[in-house]
Amino acid sequence: MGKLDKFVEVGRVAFIANGKDSGKVCAIAEIIDQNRVLIDGPCSGVRRQVCDMKRLHLTRFCIDLPHSARTAVVRRKWTAAKLDEKWKETSWAKKLESRRLRTNMSDFDRFKLARAKQ
Amino acid sequence: CPATLRAMKVIKSALSMKIPEGVTVESRSRVLRVKGKRGALSRSFRHLSLDIKVSPNGRTLTVEKWFGVHKELAAVRTVITHVRNMIKGVTYGFRYKMKSVYAHFPINMVISKAGDSIEIRNFLGEKNNRTVNMLRGVTVSQTGVKDEIQLDGNDIEAVSHSAALIQQCCCVKNKDIRKFLDGVYVSEKSTVLASDD
Repeated sequence: MGKLDKFVEVGRVAFIANGKDSGKVCAIAEIIDQNRVLIDGPCSGVRRQVCDMKRLHLTRFCIDLPHSARTAVVRRKWTAAKLDEKWKETSWAKKLESRRLRTNMSDFDRFKLARAKQ
Repeated sequence: CPATLRAMKVIKSALSMKIPEGVTVESRSRVLRVKGKRGALSRSFRHLSLDIKVSPNGRTLTVEKWFGVHKELAAVRTVITHVRNMIKGVTYGFRYKMKSVYAHFPINMVISKAGDSIEIRNFLGEKNNRTVNMLRGVTVSQTGVKDEIQLDGNDIEAVSHSAALIQQCCCVKNKDIRKFLDGVYVSEKSTVLASDD
């Protein structure tokens, strides 16, 4: 009985999986057609732009946005919903962070980690 | 301009059905399990790309298709129908009655003790005895009426498939089949327990 409630809707928070701005979250401001949406992530450094749905992975968060909301409105609703904290708390974001730390480890860091695990 | 020559996709096509009292339907990853007083049935719809969900109180089943084309949209209603048959099977069961029809040589049907296989002898006077094994969950028995047997089971596909196996094992060869009408044929399709519909 899995959940089937992540809809492509105005206000849905989505994760950009590839291309420019990959790894960032943004909100869907408008749906253009079956394959493309207008995304905007003022608080996460994503410029307002058209994005293909294939690049996006939907998250379980959804903010209350009117359609075609301009960037200032998106920013206001995003901070009111405290999405930055909520996103950081998800295991998805935590896994991404640990992956990033692991790839950026120097040899000295790896030595320290091996020592700590002993 | 050849830009839009592909079929138009329907944004959303959905159907729902009520689940009667006494029946539970569980759906996970397009595998449906239906439980009722006669037992449980399971069916996989993993070959279809559909959203199948049961309402939290377990009373409604909804099947949805987003951006479907012709054949995908057709699958929405067939899933509902398959579940309807599963529900009917676990509450009332399916009973297919078959009659043996012969002009001269009486067809002798011998049913095994467990009711899981039937042996057909003397079809058109042939010495060759035909054995048909029932599918799992299907039992065959004598009705009491002459030349009539009944197949009982929960799964409509299993019961009807077993009936088809019996009918097809008694086919006439090298003769005009409009004249030589001997065989075992399905005479009635009903339920094991009396249905209220």
